[in-house]
Amino acid sequence: MSKRYIVEMHDIIKRFGSVVALRGVDFYVQENEVVGLVGDNGAGKSTLVKILFGIYAPDEGEIIIKGKKFRKLNPKLAYELGIILVHQERILCGNHPIWRNVFMGRELTNKLGFLKINEMKKITYECLSQLGLTRMQVETPVKYLSGGYMQGVQISRALTFEADLVVLDEPTIALSLVETQRVLEYVNKLRNKGKSSIFVSHNIYHVYPVADRFVILDRGRVVAEFYKKDLTPEDLAEIMISIARTGSVPEKYQKLNLKLTYGKGSFS
Amino acid sequence: MIESYKDAGAARLIKILSEYKLQIIITAIFLSLWLVFYIINPPALSNVFTYYSIASVAPFTVLPALSLTLIIIAGEIDLSFSSIMALGALITALTWQALGEASPLGVILGLLAGLGAGLLNGVLVCKLGIPSLIATIGTMFLWRGVVLVITQGFSIPLGMYRGSAIFNILVGRVYGVPVHLLWTIGLAIVFWLILNKHKFGAYIYYVGDNRTGAQMVGINIHRVLISLYAVHGVIAAFAGIIDTLEMATFWPTLGDIYMLKSVAAVVVGGTPVTGGVGTIYGTFIGGLILEFIEMGVLTSGVTGFWIQLVHGIVIIIALAAQGILRRIELAKVRLLRILTEESEEK
Ligand SMILES: Nc1ncnc2c1ncn2[C@@H]1O[C@H](COP(=O)(O)OP(=O)(O)OP(=O)(O)O)[C@@H](O)[C@H]1O
Ligand SMILES: [Mg+2]
Repeated sequence: MSKRYIVEMHDIIKRFGSVVALRGVDFYVQENEVVGLVGDNGAGKSTLVKILFGIYAPDEGEIIIKGKKFRKLNPKLAYELGIILVHQERILCGNHPIWRNVFMGRELTNKLGFLKINEMKKITYECLSQLGLTRMQVETPVKYLSGGYMQGVQISRALTFEADLVVLDEPTIALSLVETQRVLEYVNKLRNKGKSSIFVSHNIYHVYPVADRFVILDRGRVVAEFYKKDLTPEDLAEIMISIARTGSVPEKYQKLNLKLTYGKGSFS
Repeated sequence: MIESYKDAGAARLIKILSEYKLQIIITAIFLSLWLVFYIINPPALSNVFTYYSIASVAPFTVLPALSLTLIIIAGEIDLSFSSIMALGALITALTWQALGEASPLGVILGLLAGLGAGLLNGVLVCKLGIPSLIATIGTMFLWRGVVLVITQGFSIPLGMYRGSAIFNILVGRVYGVPVHLLWTIGLAIVFWLILNKHKFGAYIYYVGDNRTGAQMVGINIHRVLISLYAVHGVIAAFAGIIDTLEMATFWPTLGDIYMLKSVAAVVVGGTPVTGGVGTIYGTFIGGLILEFIEMGVLTSGVTGFWIQLVHGIVIIIALAAQGILRRIELAKVRLLRILTEESEEK
């Protein structure tokens, strides 16, 4: 496999006061790959992706994006590098129409700063269509949408920004079964369009159907990595339970653990 | 069923109606109020001087209410503008006194004083993190105190400058129409354009609707808020200056009565104090409604003491109506969410 790396993170350490959220994490994403980033509550998943998006600066470590090295990023730079974060926290403005939310903070304007409203509506419509949301009106205020559709709007933001890497932090949290299904379809559509994603979740049954590779975080460390083709969902569940209980991967799965076969840092 | 991002005919009309429903409601209230006063007192309401006098005083309430609308949409408040009105006008009056003529420089310095006072509010709220209600009550007393100390409570007559160019530009009459009404309409249009068609207006809404969200998409919250306070300071000073010129006298208490009236104009105009939504049009009509009520009360023969009472009732009714509308809206949100779920599952 000689796929290009979109993102590589080496030896990332992040402390919040006395809490060490990340203890030397190595993490990478390849082109057109969906990485499932899983782990228990407080494992450091959100912290890791927020560092990637420049919301937090790492205390130690380096980030390489498309071959360029960075000590830290900021959200604007991350956008420019083609990374977009679909937050765990809701960033949408409920009283405002879908098209405004899709372009929030990245409005298309003329030189004087006046909005190109029709153009934005048109692009929004096209993006929603790409996600199969043809029945959605671009004028609808987002507060009228159900949770899954709201995620759809957040994901369309990613599509309009021509992002190469879409980071979804717990996109299925608090969603019904149907709604979860819908979000999973969006992620598949992103892959079909040649984009990469990081899908963060602590529910492996949500990640399993869409991910190509799983990275398991536990208390600030990457303890295991597996290709989906090597595991069934039940295997993954067993591994997760074992990690939660003993902090380590059951012996019978160790030979599949990419973390051990490749060794630290050898993927770069 | 595929719907395009634009659709034609009846559907479009319904959409426009629902998009502007707040504006339509407020206009309807205004017209029915007019009708009520007309029925009570036909002679006053058919007299052109009634409208003339409303047109000449309404700008003092409406002008500061316009920029205040933006601040309230952004989720903050400013109560100090009533004192900033006096501060700006005082600087203008003092400059003219010193120069012995009605120089534009006086107006420019007055507006700059408003700008400075507005910036101070912005800094107190953003950089020092003081809640805007508290911060601007503080600066309200501060600037009123400055004005009172400087004037020692005395008024400054400016009647001798009547007829000068600057008077005519700011508070003259064009075919009997007060020029300051034209200024007010012009500024209302500018504010409307900025709020609805400009990036900055979008940011104002986002900052009031979902501040953390706005921050996470890279909007500089402090820059938005400080700019808003600065603009509001300038507009307040401008309103104070035209009020002073219209009266041809600077009164140290200038602005006091507009503090609650302008806030009321915003609230009556349908902008909730919770932020995130609101319209310039609503505020404009809201201001006119208050002036109409005042006129109606005065022409119906009761004493002026009734005005405060009636304003109070109007504000409470407006707030209550907003509360009820918000509840209906919440119910609608829930219903629509369920409907989208169901239609999708079929
Ligand atoms: N801003 C912060 N300040 C202080 N501590 C923080 C902050 N953000 C995260 N932490 C701590 O860092 C650790 C990792 O948090 P993080 O949010 O990354 O976990 P997570 O894997 O995303 O969990 P969840 O499944 O709950 O979203 C936790 O112990 C958390 O309390
Ligand atoms: Mg998290």
